[in-house]
Amino acid sequence: MLLTLDLNDARPLHEQVAGAIRRAIGEGSYAPGDRLPPARDLAEALGINPNTVLRALRDLRDEGLLEFRRGRGVSVAGRADGRALLLQRARELLEEATRLGYRREDLITMLEELP
Amino acid sequence: MISRFAAAAWGLIVAAALVAGPLALRDRLPDPLAAHWGSGLVPDGEQSFTAFLVVSVVTWGVAWAVLFGVAVNGKAMERRLSRMYWWGSLAGMGVFALGMSGAALLANLDAPTWREAELEGRTVVVVIGAALAAAFLAGHLGRGGPDQRPPAGEEPPRLRLQPGQRSVWVSRITNSWLTAMSVAAAVALAVAGVLAITGVLADLHVGGTVPGLGIVLFAGLLTSSLTARVTRDGLAIGFGPLGWPVRRIRLSKIDKAWSEVRYPSQVGGWGIRGLPGSATIMLRGGECLIIRYRSGGQLAVSIDDAERGAALINAFIAERPAV
Repeated sequence: MLLTLDLNDARPLHEQVAGAIRRAIGEGSYAPGDRLPPARDLAEALGINPNTVLRALRDLRDEGLLEFRRGRGVSVAGRADGRALLLQRARELLEEATRLGYRREDLITMLEELP
Repeated sequence: MISRFAAAAWGLIVAAALVAGPLALRDRLPDPLAAHWGSGLVPDGEQSFTAFLVVSVVTWGVAWAVLFGVAVNGKAMERRLSRMYWWGSLAGMGVFALGMSGAALLANLDAPTWREAELEGRTVVVVIGAALAAAFLAGHLGRGGPDQRPPAGEEPPRLRLQPGQRSVWVSRITNSWLTAMSVAAAVALAVAGVLAITGVLADLHVGGTVPGLGIVLFAGLLTSSLTARVTRDGLAIGFGPLGWPVRRIRLSKIDKAWSEVRYPSQVGGWGIRGLPGSATIMLRGGECLIIRYRSGGQLAVSIDDAERGAALINAFIAERPAV
């Protein structure tokens, strides 16, 4: 599972971790039924607190993306929610646009002008 | 293809010799003849002539059938190390079968009864030496060309890293067979322990099986699951359910990484295989992450999602300041 965190992102860390896991599942590294690496491994690799990862995993469970099973760890329950993924990409796009000096309205105009 | 013809021809030659030898010498052999020698090379087991013939041919036949099956399957022939194992086993086991039969005949030759059939220690040494020599020679001759590099034109996977981002890759696999095996060994050890404490097993020979079970349990625990982690520091491979011990490979030692499909039959089985420099950590057939060291060696690890891991390693390497 490839996870990427943005160090300049102002959002809470657990939201970012949830976003990274959602993206990894959306990109197809894990299919429904596959087991995720343990939260401890993810936390250690990212250099963050295991509780932060657990909180992200719980958020994704509430979203219906993950499934917690006693003794079997965390597994993927379904396909990543299309809307949640799109929303995440849109947010990233907006951040990139801001960095490059474009306003929200400019971005909307660009989207409308797309064929 | 040549391996199948060689296996068929060699199988027939050895089987024919195993039958023809005893038949030619039948008049000079006792019946029954000595077929097993205990410590001090004193005969302690006998067989009728027919049984001796059948056992020696069937033993060779089973070994040969396994090797023929491996050759027909063909996967083992794709890699140099497994080709060497295969040719070495074919030649070595054939010579060993012939040698054992020959040694038994030599011992029985002109003996009045099977109890006088004395086996010379020298013969045994010669047989084992000849089998080993044949195995090494055939393994060397049959090694074939070096293993192919990743197909030309296909770049190792890459990933674009953006400044201000932290990327990591984490993966894990478990092998349920090896897990089941270590659980069974643990249960057997526990049962043996309880029976020994309660005295039920006091006069039975269980002492010999305990170290064996211990080794199975230890090896099974180490290789029942595997975690791999790629960070800016490099690759870390954790063995066992606790992810410990850990083998760390620093990024500065890695030249490049890619993923490839490999099978246990190509690397000589499950577990940690090969020699440092061309080692494989094989828990299941399929996708493997392959690391090429700057020193020229390779390490293969069977792991899921290896391509993304390889891409991340390559991305970190591309960012690494030139030394």
